[in-house]
Amino acid sequence: MTSDHIHPEPTTFLKKHVFSVDHKVIAKQFLWFGLVWLGIGGIMAMMLRWQLANPGVPVPLFGKLLFPRTSGVIDPASYNTLFTMHGTIMIFLGLTPAMIGALGNWSIPLMIGARDMIFPTLNMLSFWTMVMGGAVGFYSLFVPLGATEAGWTGYPTLSTTVGGVGQGETLWAIAVFLIGASSIMGGINYITTVIRLRCPGMNWMRLPLTVWGLFLTSILNVLFIPVIGSAMILLVLDRVFGTTFYVPASIMSGGTGGDPILYQHLFWIFGHPEVYILILPAWGVVCDLLSFFARKPAFGYRTSVGAMVAVTVLSAVVYGHHMFTTGLSAMLGESFMLLTMIISVPAEVLFFNWLHTLWKGNLRLTTPMLFAMSVIFVFGLGGLTGIYLATIGTDIFLHDTYFVVGHFHLTMAASALFGTFAAVYFWFPKMFGRMMSERLGKLHFWLSFVPLVIVFCIMFISGYAGMPRRYYDHTSTEYLRPLQHLNVATSVAAFLLGAAQLIFVYNFIKSRWWGEPAPQNPWEVGTLDWTTETPVPYYNFKTIPVVQCGPHEFSNPVLGPDTDWIYQTEKLPG
Amino acid sequence: MSMLKATLPSLAFLRSRWLGCPLALMLTSTWALAQDKRWGPGEAASDYGYRFHDLFWLITILVSVAFALVVILLAIPVLRDRERPGHRASFDHGKSLHDKRLTAVISIVIFIILDAWVLVIAMQDLREAHWALPDAEDPQTYRVEVLAQQWAWNFRAPGVDGEFGTADDIITINELVVPKDRPVSFNMSSKDVIHALFLPEMRMKMDVNPGSINKTWFRPITAGDFTILCAELCGFAHYQMSGKLRVLEQGLFNEWEAEASKLASTAFDADDTEAQWAWDWEK
Amino acid sequence: MRGISWQGLAVSLGALGLLTSLQTSDDENPHARAPRGVSLVVTAGSWLRAPSADWFAKQAKSEPSRFTHDATAAGGVGGWVDSRGEYSLSEVEGEWAYWQWVSPERLTAGRRDFVQFCSSCHGLDGDGYGRSAQHLRPTPRSFQQNKFKFTKVIADLPSDEALMNLIKRGLAGTPMLPWDLSDVQLLDIIQYIKSLSPEESGWRDVYSQVGDPVEVGEDPWADIKERAIARGREVYHGAASCHLCHPGYVTNEQLRVLRKDPEGTVYREDLTYPALKDSEYEVLGRATKVMPPDFTWHQLRAGITTADLFQTIASGIKGTAMPQWKGAIPDEDLWALAHYVEDLIVSYKDQPAVRGAFMKGLRASGDN
Repeated sequence: MTSDHIHPEPTTFLKKHVFSVDHKVIAKQFLWFGLVWLGIGGIMAMMLRWQLANPGVPVPLFGKLLFPRTSGVIDPASYNTLFTMHGTIMIFLGLTPAMIGALGNWSIPLMIGARDMIFPTLNMLSFWTMVMGGAVGFYSLFVPLGATEAGWTGYPTLSTTVGGVGQGETLWAIAVFLIGASSIMGGINYITTVIRLRCPGMNWMRLPLTVWGLFLTSILNVLFIPVIGSAMILLVLDRVFGTTFYVPASIMSGGTGGDPILYQHLFWIFGHPEVYILILPAWGVVCDLLSFFARKPAFGYRTSVGAMVAVTVLSAVVYGHHMFTTGLSAMLGESFMLLTMIISVPAEVLFFNWLHTLWKGNLRLTTPMLFAMSVIFVFGLGGLTGIYLATIGTDIFLHDTYFVVGHFHLTMAASALFGTFAAVYFWFPKMFGRMMSERLGKLHFWLSFVPLVIVFCIMFISGYAGMPRRYYDHTSTEYLRPLQHLNVATSVAAFLLGAAQLIFVYNFIKSRWWGEPAPQNPWEVGTLDWTTETPVPYYNFKTIPVVQCGPHEFSNPVLGPDTDWIYQTEKLPG
Repeated sequence: MSMLKATLPSLAFLRSRWLGCPLALMLTSTWALAQDKRWGPGEAASDYGYRFHDLFWLITILVSVAFALVVILLAIPVLRDRERPGHRASFDHGKSLHDKRLTAVISIVIFIILDAWVLVIAMQDLREAHWALPDAEDPQTYRVEVLAQQWAWNFRAPGVDGEFGTADDIITINELVVPKDRPVSFNMSSKDVIHALFLPEMRMKMDVNPGSINKTWFRPITAGDFTILCAELCGFAHYQMSGKLRVLEQGLFNEWEAEASKLASTAFDADDTEAQWAWDWEK
Repeated sequence: MRGISWQGLAVSLGALGLLTSLQTSDDENPHARAPRGVSLVVTAGSWLRAPSADWFAKQAKSEPSRFTHDATAAGGVGGWVDSRGEYSLSEVEGEWAYWQWVSPERLTAGRRDFVQFCSSCHGLDGDGYGRSAQHLRPTPRSFQQNKFKFTKVIADLPSDEALMNLIKRGLAGTPMLPWDLSDVQLLDIIQYIKSLSPEESGWRDVYSQVGDPVEVGEDPWADIKERAIARGREVYHGAASCHLCHPGYVTNEQLRVLRKDPEGTVYREDLTYPALKDSEYEVLGRATKVMPPDFTWHQLRAGITTADLFQTIASGIKGTAMPQWKGAIPDEDLWALAHYVEDLIVSYKDQPAVRGAFMKGLRASGDN
């Protein structure tokens, strides 16, 4: 590969800003796309919390606009649509583009010393396929019988025509399929790029852990999204062509009987790796950022890599813990319980390494560092509560209660989201050439972190008290009415959490156009992406760099007393 | 502290009427609600209910200790190792053999304490209780067939003659009456979508799938009225799919059963085969 | 496009076609319908019988902004015009009948809500035979029969208000839950349900009577409940002879004394049990029988307050053996009956020990 061959710069508006094949432009496209959808999903969550805290009360501000036939009150069917779309949007249209699309596209080529992804056109297609998926999902909100109401998990037979005859569910399945296709395209790109385009000297053990996280995520993406793709195809066939893959014979007579449990297996064989897909980049970012801002090497680099690889490998064989109450055989149940417990061990190893990275460091408590450290806290909470759910004895009671909701929000929403925020705050200076306000960033952090922990910890109490999830109104059942105070408290904290995100929006937009110009390396970090100029030219590197040391050589005594860091392209003295 | 001061808005603002009043209002209204508040699932009313309780609190203690450790180990560097002039981080890649051994040992120890211990107890619980279905042939076992639908529970009891599919089968909607101190065994299926039978006071939950029959059981040890909830999203009225479980002492139960069987026999129509949904009980 | 395997494409399309052809449906099983291509749009509006002129006059008084009297409607005679639609008068054999025009748009909205909320039990075409209605007894109401049991009206058909009240409160003890829908949604659904009447029947029949819920006047026994219960017991077992269908809550001898019948009169077997009765409702072409409730055992569908009971007894339960008692016995006796039934429910229902003792006492003589 001729390292100095640079393609000419694109000239037309479409080629520069719309159908760009430059990974940096695509990263920014994914970032805006993801942040907007995170906002939409967040507003849906606020509506859900409003209904739960004030059952039957019209939604303030925009209720009458969205729900004219009920004078602004969210009716039960719309409520089901809201939590379904909230889940789908946050996972597929929020976190996936913001974390994997944006972060992956931005940092992989820059951090491995490449000029671009190995398949730039495929990269561009992956963004636009995701946009198509988002458009189909958005359109489904406006069809006559409304969008899907079957939960983001979309279990048949509720998601087949037995449960509802509208187009909404079919369009949802198609949207998920398209978004999945986009992720596969991205995954292929990332894997091949990391394997083939590492610059000289960048061997596997000198890769920043962010790249490791994204690489492993892509492997999971490529392996398991086809499974959900097939589940969605079968669902669409059942809905549109009247096949009976998921519809049992007792409902559709005629002998061709299917099994709704087939879908659950297919879904969770994807679904469980999906949650690891969402968290692995965050883990990688946290590993790196803790090292960068503690001015210490990432403790146990190889062990961390090994832990992430172990999680990747094991993620496929633990999916049954979502199905403990479906009537699985005892042997299957116990096997999944054991494997789920085993997969917690690599995560514990990561924790050990993170804490050891901070120990006796020289901590710089910047906003990205605050978010990275908070991931330790919230993932600790979320991961440890997973033990209750991995244990079948307690899962029987806690399944489909708010305990599960609290658990997965802490591990996914809190950890992956805060990882995303950490990444955005960290790479913003290089991406947009300006600094985000530290004051507002820290304010955003504290006003998000505290309410978030409150919201989801109260859910643990609700779940323990037996409150089922996906209920429109808990006050209509005598057993659940005395728990309403928990709902109100959760909603109050949730509104605070939602409001705090406006600080981030303001900070992001203001800094993007009117922020202080950023120095070339504000965080004093040595990875290859920080060796570039700001703004990064379209060809990234004038000459392909040659790596001579690892990414975490902070506070190495050989560096002398004046500096505690070194670029990866420099050689360690002595 | 200075970091905190630099980032938080001034206390005056927090106390000001812009933030203080609505905040205070929301907080007080939270506590003013629901006269009788509940914080837990209430007393267990089934014989294996204590197992959930014991396991839950065991895990809570273990998890709390682990989390407290994490928080302490997180707090110490924040308090002690912050950047200041002249301070330098200790350089350690953590790749020495000692470090790797330590990691391995700690992982194994944590696994044994947090996971293996709990796993063993859970497996015992499953084998002794949750998955130990009572013998259907035993006359002590009270068998009930459950047919879930959008959005109601249909229960079918065999009636006085003890056989399903006969004229005296007792069919109730959203109400289940069972005798105390006898194992109640369920065969459950659904007419349309997946539901889940959740008896919170009995600590029992099992999905109810269309096209197949799921089995579960419990033994009530307290008489009284309890709750039946649906625990799997089944449509827009999922939240209204609740019912009443009544546990009666054996004497009262026999009276109830006799009365219900007689009424059922009166109403029985042999020609209406579509109404007779009992299925063979697998022995 | 380069590189596409045309053979592969052909095989996939062929497989898809094969899969589609595997779809079988059993026409004899009404539950085996695969609802594909369900039409949600109603193209034709409908004229439906509306409640009486008194109802309009009353409504106009209480909601002056909603109704206006328009002299140009119905050939210059005058009709009430609703802000959402149109009502008009027409003469039918010397009497004025009120009609309501429901536009296709309104029926479409109603159909959409109906399909989403009601069709799983009531069927996509309102025939009472949806997928969730399998094995259910009693079956969900078929809207093509124009008969409703619990709407508490004197006339043949219930008004919009009566139907709305019913849907909002639900039918206790059945899967007909109290539905959390707005008034706008409910009214649209109700118009759609009414439009399901077969031609020239029900709301599309010129001669049908549409009535309002039975008016609940003042309870004459308000402060003297004990006497009401005693009087109710007398009427129940005496003038009204409720024990012919419902259980009798006295022994044979007590009954004979109450009714002042000669010595040695024997009443029906199983006096303390209800007697199964025929009804006009059909399931799968066969008439269903209905069990009159035992007030100490069964859950009453249409409410258990004194006012509810008064209304139910007064209006009867259409299509079943429970006749309309309004006019047949004086109102104060109807109230007494309501008090008596309420007392039975409060004293014995859901109290197995107390009820058991009570029934044992009644049946001790062996005649019941």
